[in-house]
Amino acid sequence: MAELGRAALVICLGLSVYALLAGGYSAFRGKRRLSLSARNALIAAFAAAAVASVVLFAALVRHDFSFSYVAEHSARRLPTLYALSAFWGGQEGSLLLWLLILTAYSAAAVLVNRRSAPDLVAWVVPVLGGVAVFFSFMLVAVSSPFETQPAPADGAGLNPSLQNLHMLIHPVLLYLGFVGLTVPFAFGMGSLLAKRGDERWIVATRRWTLAAWGFLGIGQLIGAHWAYVEVGWGGYYAWDPVENAALMPWLASTAFLHSVMVQEKKGMLKIWNMLLVAGGFCLALFGTFLTRSGILSSIHSFTESPLGAWFLGFIAIVIVFSLGLIFLRLPLLRTKTKLESLVSREASFLYNNLLLVAFCLTILWGVLYPILSEAVRGEPSHVSGPYYNFFLHVFGLPLLLLMGIGPLLAWRKTSLRTLAKTWAWPAAASVVAGVVLLALGAGSSIPGLIAYTFSAFVIASIVVEFVRGTKARRAVAGGSWPSAFSSLVSRNRRRYGGYVIHAAVVLLAIGIAGSSAYDTTREAKLRPGQSMEIRGYTLTYRRLVEHQAENAREIRALVDVRRGDSAEGTLSAGKNHYPVERQTSNEVAIRSNAVTGEDLYLIAQQIDPNGTVFFKAEVLPLVNLIWLAGFIFIGGTLIALWPDARESRRLAERYGYAAARA
Amino acid sequence: MRLALALSIAALLAVFLLYTSIAGGGTPSLRPSQLLVDTHEGKRVTLSGKVIGTVRGDAQAGGLRFRLRDVKGTGSVPVVYRGSVPDMFRTGRDISVDGHLRSGTFIGVKNTLVTKCPSKYSSKK
Repeated sequence: MAELGRAALVICLGLSVYALLAGGYSAFRGKRRLSLSARNALIAAFAAAAVASVVLFAALVRHDFSFSYVAEHSARRLPTLYALSAFWGGQEGSLLLWLLILTAYSAAAVLVNRRSAPDLVAWVVPVLGGVAVFFSFMLVAVSSPFETQPAPADGAGLNPSLQNLHMLIHPVLLYLGFVGLTVPFAFGMGSLLAKRGDERWIVATRRWTLAAWGFLGIGQLIGAHWAYVEVGWGGYYAWDPVENAALMPWLASTAFLHSVMVQEKKGMLKIWNMLLVAGGFCLALFGTFLTRSGILSSIHSFTESPLGAWFLGFIAIVIVFSLGLIFLRLPLLRTKTKLESLVSREASFLYNNLLLVAFCLTILWGVLYPILSEAVRGEPSHVSGPYYNFFLHVFGLPLLLLMGIGPLLAWRKTSLRTLAKTWAWPAAASVVAGVVLLALGAGSSIPGLIAYTFSAFVIASIVVEFVRGTKARRAVAGGSWPSAFSSLVSRNRRRYGGYVIHAAVVLLAIGIAGSSAYDTTREAKLRPGQSMEIRGYTLTYRRLVEHQAENAREIRALVDVRRGDSAEGTLSAGKNHYPVERQTSNEVAIRSNAVTGEDLYLIAQQIDPNGTVFFKAEVLPLVNLIWLAGFIFIGGTLIALWPDARESRRLAERYGYAAARA
Repeated sequence: MRLALALSIAALLAVFLLYTSIAGGGTPSLRPSQLLVDTHEGKRVTLSGKVIGTVRGDAQAGGLRFRLRDVKGTGSVPVVYRGSVPDMFRTGRDISVDGHLRSGTFIGVKNTLVTKCPSKYSSKK
């Protein structure tokens, strides 16, 4: 079976090389039939990658330990569901997942656009082929998932912390996001290669970028939730390099999603958009590299992992290629339109981009700091939480405010009088919110208070936008309020989907501010019968219970929770001991308040043999808004993504092709 | 227009420089053997190494006591640490902890102990 997998990968490599070379040559010479055959090779590469993936998955399900990869990442007792987690639990498998998703996206993207933009697709094929060449080459020659060995009796098992639903979904979503950024990159570069200076590539890839961006966002939230409930230190984000790896391309593509609107509307920022799309793709590659090669603690770790040098080499090639190409095509990308006013919609997009990119670069600087400082001073230094939090405040808070201001500004320029009129409600709302919160004692954290007043401003401005739009719609078409509302949203899915996403980001900001700026932590060593107090809760430690589960010994401390006079049930926090893996894991207890969104978070830090337990309790206000934001984020993204017949007709007229039947 | 753009970029750079000058860049990461050569007297550093010997004491009371050795090497220092201990912590694991050296013993800062790359997500072979 391993031979089949290996053969499929070699075929995939061959097809990708063909798509790159034949595709490039035929596009250059304008040979239509050869171009079609290169395109078909790219689609066939997907089939080959799928065969290789099925082989590996089948081996995992059948516990075929003659595959080294299966022996290293699974065991007989591993439930079949987690065979999937094991698929991407290691380096080789996750590279295969990259290739599978890449070829799937490639096949779909060239098929969807083959009629409407054939000249563009002719050049997109070799770019996508080039990326596929790299990943299939890695899988064939450097890091093969199909190495074989004499089968051992049982495998080494999968890390217990990966055996949960979060870790089943999270990596796939991140990869769908990382890899998805290849599509806009390939179309951007394809457009330059085809000597097109227009925004056709942006129109063709808008939904692809949005989908990739949405996957990346949700993937990160699931990762944060995993850290919160499974890792159990009381937080959800720790500015770890591996976490930052996903945040950076997300920030870059957030900037891109906004700046392309300026190009579509005004024909400006063409060079900038090309740089952003190339930067986003490089960050996605860098992110894959970071998560695949462990924590970058030293310059020397680059040479330790065979993967590192290859990845860095490929990233360097991508950078040189895209910068060179952009430089060559500069005359095409120059624009005549100038920014007319610093107070306009396009200017606000510009500020948004500067802030997002600045934040992204400071994170990149922080991630690379150990390597840079070792190279310069011979001694590695690193930056941690305070560094990142400083920049989160400096760049994140203005971004939050901008989210309320931008949508209220008109294109080209906005007069001060209209400004005063549109800002009246949001400004009033934020002042009221600020005063009320100050009276409630929110002044204990200045960044927190600022975040809340800004959030009030943004929410009010979103409401104003919806009300204004619905009123206008009703004035034109008549009918009831709800029907005017739904017709408003369905006629401008992109815009109002965007506002819904903005609302989700505001909720996220409120949740982060509440749980990080206004949290309370108490620690106490308790004997059975003793109590501790935290923010109105009384926690009484009752006793320890032990339970022998299938693969772990579970110890739990039972703690009664009271709030004032009312009993609020029992929490059980403790530890699991895994004898086979020789590991212990903290099992935290969380009590969520559905009304206030507040969590009581209990960790049994240390359990002594005599029954004494050292507890750490935290109260995290509003933390559940973060998870709620995730659902709203999905909703908004879906609204903005949904196929729109009206839009496709408009585009068909503009670019002169027959509208695809949607 | 170009001026406004240049000014905003300059402002961003200024913010960045302001931060690095106030906070002074980063915490040095050292191996135990490096700490023995240069103690970085009184300065907070991050010490990374492998836990060796037996682990004694109580992290929530008098402090957890263990020795930390270079991952590849022989230099080692005794460590005293209080605060939360990650699940993965035990003899033989690679960890890092913040603190400073005082009269031959490394005094850890509360809740800074982290274990490195315990998962099979790392590519180390």
